[in-house]
Amino acid sequence: MNAPTSVIHIENLTYAYGRGSEAIDNFNLRVEAGRCYGLFGRNGAGKTTAIKCLLNLLRPERGHVRVFGIDPGKHEVEVKRRLTYVPDQVSFYPWMTIRETLDYLASFREHWNAATEQELLRRFHLDANRRAAALSKGQRTQVALIAAICPEPDLLLLDEPTSGLDPIVRREFIETVIGAYQEGNPGNRTILVSTHLISEFEGLIDEFTIMDRGRGLITLRADEARDRYKRIRARFSQSAPELDLSMALHVRRAGRELDVIVNGGGREVMDRLLKYNPEALTTEALTLEEIFVATSRDQETLNGPAVLENP
Amino acid sequence: MLIQINYKSGKPVYVQVVDQVKAASASGALKPGEALPCIRPLAEELRVNRNTIAKAYSELENMGVIETIPGKGCFLKHNNSPLRKDVRRKMLIEEIDQAIVQAHHLQVSRDEFLEAVRQRLAVFDQKRRASEDRED
Repeated sequence: MNAPTSVIHIENLTYAYGRGSEAIDNFNLRVEAGRCYGLFGRNGAGKTTAIKCLLNLLRPERGHVRVFGIDPGKHEVEVKRRLTYVPDQVSFYPWMTIRETLDYLASFREHWNAATEQELLRRFHLDANRRAAALSKGQRTQVALIAAICPEPDLLLLDEPTSGLDPIVRREFIETVIGAYQEGNPGNRTILVSTHLISEFEGLIDEFTIMDRGRGLITLRADEARDRYKRIRARFSQSAPELDLSMALHVRRAGRELDVIVNGGGREVMDRLLKYNPEALTTEALTLEEIFVATSRDQETLNGPAVLENP
Repeated sequence: MLIQINYKSGKPVYVQVVDQVKAASASGALKPGEALPCIRPLAEELRVNRNTIAKAYSELENMGVIETIPGKGCFLKHNNSPLRKDVRRKMLIEEIDQAIVQAHHLQVSRDEFLEAVRQRLAVFDQKRRASEDRED
């Protein structure tokens, strides 16, 4: 038996500026079945371009793109029948009601889970007789997400699904939708979500890639990331000692305190700090959002003015 | 039983769920035969991936802490850990070792550490008594 095919496999993808899309440079991505995968990056990092290449909405200049092992450039319909896509801006025909909109979208699909549809309409308090024109942005996104999961696709592509929404609204529904989607067949329900609102997705993401200026910076499993990236704080009775912490990602000193961020090697940093008898020494994991900030900041240090002092 | 996820702890999320179910069972917050929350509602409440909860539950089932009754859900097993006593002891020693290393890093002295263990044991005893009283 062959090894299972990755649901998404992108290799050395390159797409240049100039046609209104963000550039991508030698980007790699591999998403296995059943994962909830996060594609993190600032606006303009290239997240949307990567997703559009999966959908054959953009043609890559160079590189290899496979979805379910199939080339979307050659077999677009074959790929699209097995996935659904929610872009960051959703629009419906304004004259249609929610009921008509869902029926219209269902007509393109081989399969539609009406029970899930009913459950989510009820949970979101959506009146199926309302016209699309009368819906708020949050409600439009809710309808789009319902329409995306009812066909029970093998892959759900979400491009900035919660941006521009009221935080209270999005807190409530993103996990509801993802939970409903995964419920039926968890091993085969795969999600790729692009976002810069990382804290919203902290617990949902199994694995992620951080993109910056068209390139992949890091790819890690979420648990592994929180294990490796640590913030260590030490306070000393006198001003903080000068010591070699070159293995740290960032070191910030403020009087008697040292604030160190590490990517692995936390134990060693702690041991070195302990030799100077700190009054207090604490360590905590970085959240995914903090890891995103720390790694992006790292890039700025490499590419531009150093924003951090290193002892 | 209330479960709380702390991303700052650096512990994998499913391990946090496993540990808290075990702690709830040790303190009496969860009693033998009592049902655990279902996977999907718990995942939604904690805002985590359902696969994470599923992984935690299957781990707990493998350890013999809980059992799944098809169509009914997961329940805390009646206190009969299938692990042999020396294996259980070894598992516990690993945890104690971690706490000792942590105490060293936090510059907690041996006496303070032992006192903290005694205090925690007393807290758990108290919780267990309180939940037994409610039962009666």
